[in-house]
Amino acid sequence: MKKPKVKVRICLGTACFVQGGADLLLYNDFLDPEILADCEIEGCSCLEQCKVGGGQAPFVEINGKIYDGVTQDVFCRLLQEAVKE
Amino acid sequence: MIDLNNQFTQIKRRIDSEVVRRFFSDTLVQTADRLPIEIIPKDRIPSRCCIYKERALVRYRVLTLLGVDLDNDDDEFKPLGEYVKEVLEKDEPSLPLLTTIKSGCYGCPKDQYRISDACRGCFARPCMANCPKDAIVFINGQAHIQDDRCIRCGKCMEVCPFHAVVHIPVPCEEACPVNAIHKNEQGVVEVDHEKCIGCGKCVRSCPFGAIVERSELLHVLKMLKKKDKVVAMIAPAIEGQFPGTLGQIKAALKKAGFSDVFEVAKGAEVTSIREGEELVEKIEAKEGYMTTSCCSSYMELIPKHLPFLKERYSDAYSPMAYAAELCKKADPECKTVFIGPCLSKRVEAAKYRDIIDGVITFAELAAVFMALDIDVREMEAESLGDDASFQDCREYAVTGGVASCVLSRLKDPSSVKIMSIDGIDKKTVRLMNTWQKKAPDADLVEVMVCQGGCIAGPGTIVKPQVALRLRQANKAASAKKA
Repeated sequence: MKKPKVKVRICLGTACFVQGGADLLLYNDFLDPEILADCEIEGCSCLEQCKVGGGQAPFVEINGKIYDGVTQDVFCRLLQEAVKE
Repeated sequence: MIDLNNQFTQIKRRIDSEVVRRFFSDTLVQTADRLPIEIIPKDRIPSRCCIYKERALVRYRVLTLLGVDLDNDDDEFKPLGEYVKEVLEKDEPSLPLLTTIKSGCYGCPKDQYRISDACRGCFARPCMANCPKDAIVFINGQAHIQDDRCIRCGKCMEVCPFHAVVHIPVPCEEACPVNAIHKNEQGVVEVDHEKCIGCGKCVRSCPFGAIVERSELLHVLKMLKKKDKVVAMIAPAIEGQFPGTLGQIKAALKKAGFSDVFEVAKGAEVTSIREGEELVEKIEAKEGYMTTSCCSSYMELIPKHLPFLKERYSDAYSPMAYAAELCKKADPECKTVFIGPCLSKRVEAAKYRDIIDGVITFAELAAVFMALDIDVREMEAESLGDDASFQDCREYAVTGGVASCVLSRLKDPSSVKIMSIDGIDKKTVRLMNTWQKKAPDADLVEVMVCQGGCIAGPGTIVKPQVALRLRQANKAASAKKA
């Protein structure tokens, strides 16, 4: 059976967007194309994580799990791991 | 310049949004002095020497957000709350634009080239051969640069096959295109306001955040809180700074308390038409080249550094000025606030105090949206009205856009020669200075002080690449709809 694609949602609430989330939208430029092919990436409405407290913007959800303080580098690493699983 | 989104911009945005949040909940006076401690809690691992210095710096950042001139009014005995009270009571003009946080300045050693341990003392010794001042000597089989001879040309760095030569710049001095920054006797940064053109490159370059702009945000927020009729005049560069369309940004601004939104692109239409008329006259009279006049830092550059260009720039006002005129004409009672990517627009606005009531940056607007929990992406888009005549003027924000808007309004644009000055640094200023002797081979020179155009301005939120991407996506989406 074909492996399902990794579902990635980038929080585009104002707080995330202005604190670096916007950079993640350049994923076509900085992500390894092979990893990119196994992922489904979309921007999404505020994940409400900023209101919960704890953790640093920007937030990203990968296969239902939330990650915080996601820079471009962290994003690459997280997806690499997620694709391998 | 340092790329956006680093620890400094993150902390700054947090401070800004916390201040705005407290302002709207009427608790700023009482809680301002707690802010440094709340933002730098005691369990934080400091990035400066200690958390206490970090807290002191937060205090200074709050002060500059209040518009305080730290160079002349830095009373360490005065609590932040007192400063807030004063600012809430009266409106002081916040010029000169820039001020410095002296204790934040690292006092970087002067610009230098140094030879590192990677030097193998090779046989060819290209550094020695290429040094125009014979500044390189070999000691114990490794190259050294003699400080008193070195003119910091960088030739040795270029030719070393082992990349053993490093350039250690002073970031603020290096970034300033007009040498307006120097070090005082203590080695601490000072801005020469007589020379400064307000481009903000130093602000964006200092890794310690020691050069800062004095904000006018509180002045604008006061108008909003009083429920004045405040029109947000949005610069064309705003598209792409937030996730969403212009219509959604308009809705978000209204939710934040602005009574209406006016696109400065509409003012840019007037600028384009005027510049076009003038250009045709100049060409017919064979008067030589004309430059654009919409970039406010460029308009500071001319009198301060390139006075001979006074005869050359277009007499047309900037899009901001025309936009403000149109707003006041439509409703003389309204207040106008320009929202843009630019710091020096505040200097320009000071010349139009009767029609422009405030200037803030996109970054400051972001703080307002964050504080009020406004998500641009979630807004129901509002209609932008009839924008057919000035749609292309939204491209004023991108290098090349101004010239193309002027040209497209001419009868015969094909014969007009265009030249673009895309971003200004020390070298470009020198180049422009040569125009006194040899005029540029062009009829219209478009000048943008920020490389890439206004979307790369010092008050932006996202990197220019992101802004361009979002602008293109919006365009594709609206084309699909049509």
